[in-house]
Amino acid sequence: MNHCKKWTAWIICLAVTVGAFAFAGCGQSNQPAQTKKDVTINLLAQNHPWTNAIQPFIPDFEKQTGIKVNMQILTEQQTRDKSLMTLQAKSPDIDVWMSLKSFEGLAYYKAGFYEPLDKYLNDPKLTPKEYNVADFMKGPFTGEKIDNKLVGIPIIVEGPVVFYRKDVFQQYNISVPKNMDELLEAAKTIQEKSNGEIYGMATRGLPQAIPYTFGAFLHNMGLEWMDASGKPNFDKPEAIKAIDMYATLTSKYGPPGVVNNTFYQSSALFAQGKAAMEYESSNELSTITNPQNSRVVGKIGVFSLPPGPGGNHPTVLQWGVSISAFSKNKEAAWEFIRWATSPEMQRKLAEKGIASPRSSVWDNAEFKKTLEEPVKQEWAAALRIVMDNGNPEVGPPVTKQAEARKMIGTAIDKVILGTATAQEAASEIQQKLLEVLK
Amino acid sequence: MTRMSITGKDGALQPHPSPPMNDTETFWGLLKKFRVPIMMVSPAAIFTVIMILFPILYSAYLSLVKWTPGSEDAPFVGLANYIRMFQDPTFWLALGITLKLFLVCLFFETIIGIYLGILLSREVPGQKIFQALILLPSIIASVAIGMMWILIYDPTLGVANYFLKSFGLKQLVWLADPDMVLAAIAIIDIWEWSPFMALIITGGMRALPTDPFEAAVIDGASRWQIFKYVTLPLLRPVIMVAILLRSVDLIRFFDTIYIMTKGGPNDASTTLNVYSYLQGFSYMDMSYGSAIMLFLLALVMLFSLIISALRRKAVS
Repeated sequence: MNHCKKWTAWIICLAVTVGAFAFAGCGQSNQPAQTKKDVTINLLAQNHPWTNAIQPFIPDFEKQTGIKVNMQILTEQQTRDKSLMTLQAKSPDIDVWMSLKSFEGLAYYKAGFYEPLDKYLNDPKLTPKEYNVADFMKGPFTGEKIDNKLVGIPIIVEGPVVFYRKDVFQQYNISVPKNMDELLEAAKTIQEKSNGEIYGMATRGLPQAIPYTFGAFLHNMGLEWMDASGKPNFDKPEAIKAIDMYATLTSKYGPPGVVNNTFYQSSALFAQGKAAMEYESSNELSTITNPQNSRVVGKIGVFSLPPGPGGNHPTVLQWGVSISAFSKNKEAAWEFIRWATSPEMQRKLAEKGIASPRSSVWDNAEFKKTLEEPVKQEWAAALRIVMDNGNPEVGPPVTKQAEARKMIGTAIDKVILGTATAQEAASEIQQKLLEVLK
Repeated sequence: MTRMSITGKDGALQPHPSPPMNDTETFWGLLKKFRVPIMMVSPAAIFTVIMILFPILYSAYLSLVKWTPGSEDAPFVGLANYIRMFQDPTFWLALGITLKLFLVCLFFETIIGIYLGILLSREVPGQKIFQALILLPSIIASVAIGMMWILIYDPTLGVANYFLKSFGLKQLVWLADPDMVLAAIAIIDIWEWSPFMALIITGGMRALPTDPFEAAVIDGASRWQIFKYVTLPLLRPVIMVAILLRSVDLIRFFDTIYIMTKGGPNDASTTLNVYSYLQGFSYMDMSYGSAIMLFLLALVMLFSLIISALRRKAVS
């Protein structure tokens, strides 16, 4: 009997506590929108220039709105693992997260992880006119749409460009390459004339990372990843040429051990003065011009990858922020996104080197003033080419994106390592892509 | 885990003499009778069920269906994932790499561990400080170790090649050479875990009786003979425990590889655990990843059974 009493007491205690929470919850949602005290949104971001640039402004947002932002910063793959696990469990632990639509977009969309944003955008109560949606460039904005549904708002545009050492080019009497062959020639000259002390070109060799840089080589040969009927294009001679070119550039005129390299290693080599060219994401500008870790500040120039026989089609990609379909604070989450992607905020971030997906930012007089340094002007010009001519397909448009990219990278690495010819790599990619498509 | 719960049960059972039969026939009666033992065991038992048993059973279920994160339905496919596994050349490659790393690392770690362990058991001034210092690699988080060694192994900017260069030796590309990458990773593991083996063996050395050694000295045995015929046989059970602990970790080798090479270059450092991770999390094929993981579990269990049997033999 005694037990019974104890249990009853416990149950009553529990009920009262739960009840109290429930009432507290009700009280909160009944309050007007302006005083959203105690609302905390969880932002999952990756270690990325955008994250570093926006972080100092977040206290302003918290002060303005009373919404607390709980930021979690992880590396790219860990962000992906964490978002996948959390969203799969339908957990409300993520409200807003940085999502790469060209990578996981299709898979996440099919799984229903994204909250469609059209209704927030079209509601004048949630989105004032000043937000100016029409200002977003078409490429990055449509990149955030899947099945014609808006699932994110673009925060940054990027694409691979070539950073180069003006002093080294001058020393060896090299001019800025006008086509792909000249690019190879320039890398060769530097490698040979410096006796291998300075590598011609530092770029990606890590399998998963290769398609981002290799893609433009393929596109500049006049090929898409797949033809119009959805068949992979790697049985064409141009694809073999592209692989051969990329492998020659990296293995003969690149740093040793390139097959493990991605932007991190390439930028370290370039910043230490060990490489004369770095073909990397436009975002790397801030790393290599940072006097704290770069020895080559003031000697850097930028050009966009020169055109090949098939024209000039650099890879372009946008990062976006999305709201989780399972978030419990969707309106607060939207308020954050609206603030982070507002014209004013985007301009402030642009001044810190974040390439804005809003065209008004690029025409803004104050922003233009920050571009006075020649390297920034060249950077903006190269990025403009990326934004105007860019091909948004970073990898073949398949749901099994990670697998396809790794497979392409692995095959190209075999050529770099000298264990296969470009011809063999191309047919391996062709055959395995067909399997992935099944 | 099982052993722990059994002793808990036994210990708590004794003060309760068996009550009349009719009370034990119902479920509630049983519950009442074993109230104390159940309370004692339940934290461990609940933990085991939630954290160990459930995940294993769930992986077993996953490996029999086809499920990718995000899809609502998971059709039953029977043994298809296992058949695919045995036909997958990368799986066999990964198995080979796992075993290779296991053998090489365990061999060197045991030898260096025994050597260091015996050395550490000598009473010399400063021995305690040295013992603490050599343990440092085993205490640092593997992720930090991976990051650190990426810098050391960097072909252009790293200190490893700097040393090779200053000695006039040929510079290596370490992690980027498919023929070199396993050796490079093995070096890290041996550096990281030999001190741990040494610590266990030092403990064992300290616990050894002194009489056999004295007897051997009186009989005029040389140092080598003492080591071979007295020290080693007496240490064997302890060495077996150290080997068992390391083997389990080595077969599921993951962290440093994930940080450093992600299984590359050209899959040359893809262990079974890395391959399973790639399948499950990168390629979002949880079912195939689970199948590989279960195979790995079976492998770990097989090895620990073999080594436990050897240990029992060594003790008797």
